[in-house]
Amino acid sequence: MESQKAALTLLVAPVVGVVAVFCLAPLAVLFCYSFFHVEFVEIAKQPSIGNYVKVAESETYRWLIAKAVGTGLSVAAIAGVIGYPVAFFIAKRVVLLKSVFLTALLIPLYTGDLVRIFAWRVVLGAEGVLNSFLLWTGVISEPIQALLFSTTATLIVLTYNYLPFMVLGLWLAFESLDDRLLEAAADLGAGRWATIRRVILPRTTPGLLAGGLMVFILVIGDYLTPQLIGGSSGVTVISAVNDLFGTAFDWPLGSAIAWSLLATMVALIIAAGLLFSRTRLGRSIISGG
Amino acid sequence: MPSATINEGPSGKPLLVARALKKFYGGEPAVRGVDFSIEHNSYVTLLGPSGCGKTTILRMIGGFEAVSAGTLELDQRSLVDVSANRRPVNTVFQSYALFPHLTVAENVGFSLSLKGLDRATIQTRVAGALAMVRMEAMSGRWPRQLSGGQQQRVALARAIINEPKLLLLDEPLSALDRKMRKDMQIELKDLQRRLGMTFLHVTHDQEEAFALSDWIIVMNRGVIEQQGSPEDIYRRPASAYVADFIGGANLLSGKIAGVKGELAAIDTEFGTIEAPCTSGLNAGQVASLCLRPEQISLNGNGRAISGAVSHVVFQGAESLIEVEAGKSRLQVRCERTPPEVGSTIKLTFDPQRAWIAAGAMGQGS
Amino acid sequence: MDIRLHRRNFLTLAGAATLGGLGLAGHTNHAKAAEDLVWLTWENLAKDDYIGPFLSQSGIGLTKNFIGTDDEQFAKLRAGGSSSVDLITPGLDKVELYVASNLLQPIDLARVPNAASLYDTFKNTPLGKKDGQTYGLPFYWGINPIVYRADLMSEEPDWSVFFTGEKYKGRLAMRDYALEGIMIAALYLGIPRERMFDMDDRELAEVKKALLAQKGLLRTYWNSISDLTNLFATGEVACAFSWVPPYYELLGRGLNMGMAKPKQGVIGWCDTLAIPAGVSDERLDATLKLVDYLLGADYGAKLAVGGPYALSTSLAREKLTEEQQEKIFVKDLSIMDSFVWKANPARYSDWVRLWNEVKAS
Repeated sequence: MESQKAALTLLVAPVVGVVAVFCLAPLAVLFCYSFFHVEFVEIAKQPSIGNYVKVAESETYRWLIAKAVGTGLSVAAIAGVIGYPVAFFIAKRVVLLKSVFLTALLIPLYTGDLVRIFAWRVVLGAEGVLNSFLLWTGVISEPIQALLFSTTATLIVLTYNYLPFMVLGLWLAFESLDDRLLEAAADLGAGRWATIRRVILPRTTPGLLAGGLMVFILVIGDYLTPQLIGGSSGVTVISAVNDLFGTAFDWPLGSAIAWSLLATMVALIIAAGLLFSRTRLGRSIISGG
Repeated sequence: MPSATINEGPSGKPLLVARALKKFYGGEPAVRGVDFSIEHNSYVTLLGPSGCGKTTILRMIGGFEAVSAGTLELDQRSLVDVSANRRPVNTVFQSYALFPHLTVAENVGFSLSLKGLDRATIQTRVAGALAMVRMEAMSGRWPRQLSGGQQQRVALARAIINEPKLLLLDEPLSALDRKMRKDMQIELKDLQRRLGMTFLHVTHDQEEAFALSDWIIVMNRGVIEQQGSPEDIYRRPASAYVADFIGGANLLSGKIAGVKGELAAIDTEFGTIEAPCTSGLNAGQVASLCLRPEQISLNGNGRAISGAVSHVVFQGAESLIEVEAGKSRLQVRCERTPPEVGSTIKLTFDPQRAWIAAGAMGQGS
Repeated sequence: MDIRLHRRNFLTLAGAATLGGLGLAGHTNHAKAAEDLVWLTWENLAKDDYIGPFLSQSGIGLTKNFIGTDDEQFAKLRAGGSSSVDLITPGLDKVELYVASNLLQPIDLARVPNAASLYDTFKNTPLGKKDGQTYGLPFYWGINPIVYRADLMSEEPDWSVFFTGEKYKGRLAMRDYALEGIMIAALYLGIPRERMFDMDDRELAEVKKALLAQKGLLRTYWNSISDLTNLFATGEVACAFSWVPPYYELLGRGLNMGMAKPKQGVIGWCDTLAIPAGVSDERLDATLKLVDYLLGADYGAKLAVGGPYALSTSLAREKLTEEQQEKIFVKDLSIMDSFVWKANPARYSDWVRLWNEVKAS
């Protein structure tokens, strides 16, 4: 036993080390930088919370962080609504071609970001597929400009980009949902909606939350899509940080914004987790399994 | 009957009637056309080996499988087009299928809360149902905190709380250990009597069927081999299959030499033997003489067969002896010191207490 | 540590730079005397047929390491890579940052004869210099004009098209880059060029107001030149502050393109040649020879055709046809009077913040 434990420690230690070095160390460096400030080309290493004061006082950065959170939540919600029936269908209705469906679902992930974005430009553009079709059918007489380079367009493409993560999370939840529970519900008098509300939803909520969390985080990190699809309103907090790091050489302020965003996200996730764990459903998932 | 309980149907008519009931899975027959009825207030068992179609019948009654052909009526109303959630039938599932995200009390109260009953009523009835299965103390637990037997009781309480006209039990005891199974058998029977409810119980365990049932339906390969009271099934098996499946009879196969009223003569390797028979036998037909181990004695009177002892299995108060006689192997009970393996002994039996059933083992039915 | 190994490619160079930063730099210095020169530059400037004649004639060996962005080049040098590089190619406006970080050495113009032929505007610019000494020697240059779809616009635009009037609303694009975005607003507002990079709060407020108006007119901000080319080609954008390449590329694809150089001023860009502080002795001699060649007529003629870009010296001009001269903006040299060279604003952080505020509004 002891030697097994030691062997396990030996095996795990490098992994923990790698995670620490490659995941946490850069964040720690950023955290240190966020307390410094820039004097022309030199980073002055006298610690102060000045950068955080700047972020807190700046309507722009506050708004950009709020916008990031809002976009993340919106896309996660939309992806949940779309992904739910899709995941149900794949897990419970498809028998023979399940892997084909799953592979098809993941195709967007095989292509690069830019390929996806430019493909959507072709679809949504003023002279794009959708507008051309609508013009041809006579539904509209002028191309709908707002299809591309608008908040709507950003939400559409972000949803498309990250829907697979939501569906995968939900698909796993649906796969592990015991069909006999559905039979039991029907046996006890539950119609379709009652079964969904009282059995399927509670049993798949962990998948919904896992998928939602992934989408939420990935959407906040995606600055390319809003930049290339969102038009003049496509700025994100990440691209602002990018500007500060790149062109302005203001690493400390960039770090402070990045950490403010990170702290906001973590605080939100923890708060949501705590709130959820106090609900009946949350308790049942934690204790009932 | 003025004092009829809620489960008592219209006078004289059976609760459930199935006629020419069939189920196909993509052309493969699982149930090949069965007829049976279930009386009010009875405990009925569908008995057979796995794959015989018994569970499929249960699922058709529960509404989880569509009926391919035939009729299925509950209280003279067809069930065929009624969805599962609208049938006055509840099920105890083999795996219990308790909702993991609901407490014991919530599981049991599930069907009541769907009906929109008020909280106090639900609480009272849930407490009553849990008391019925002696699980009052567990009402706040989560299912995964319970043992298999406890889950079983909760599943039972959940299924009876809504007072179904018919309670379906799908191999409910198969996941329990032997001791627990015996206890639960007694409880199930007791519960059925107290509730005055009709139970339809699916099992592959003939002992369980005998312990519980007023009526047993023996199935094999999608058809009913025989149905009747436990005693009928045991003493007067209709076929060699039933005789073998129920209680492990010794079967001596042969052709029927002649039928005389309730007696028939059968040509076995030990000569022609005349014994009571199942109805419908004809001369020349292949049949089997069934001898229960307890019907054969060592050194008694009656027809005698001699053979060599090949095995002795000590079973406590008695031993089970296997004797090789001709091409047959016969099992015999022995209450005194068993003979040595290899010794030749004489077996005797009273043909009047034996039984001739149709068909032979290994021949199909 | 094997030096040759580190010079094979960029990644190992970065590795060397990191190790150098950890205090192993001294190890590399004395080992490289007899080896190739290392030039950190853009890929399209160091093509073999541009520099081959010089290398075979002089017998000097050259290793090319390519950069992706100016910021990357700066970061690399700061991290300690200067000791293993002999020549770098920073933007004229960025030289100041390198000098402030003590990464460069002054260039002795007497040892670069071709520098005498620099156009006046480059001779006179204060950029790239400190205390009268040249640290970044202007190398080649170009302009960032307005490019537009002539088939979609009825007149040649100037900067005002991005700030006022509804005619092209929703059909314009601006580069998502604080420095140029704010410079253009300043040009439009008529803020004097000498004050442009030292604007006070009042002027910056004016700029912000103009940029907010601009945002309402834009279809989008563009981020890469291929992105913008795509926007023109698909008809999403009719007119944009641009670089030159989309103009020629889309002309070549049959689109009726126009290029406008507004009278209010045109943003010019210029990359320089600069020598890291640690280069000395025979390596410095060889580097200066290379610098002189890069400013000369042979190299200039090739770059004018292949780039197409113009050198900072007039030496190649006579070898070019009028058409070629036109293409690199040296036919009519008066254009240089309307140039505004990009410089590093004193309050660049404020500029970036202003730009982000506009975009986030």
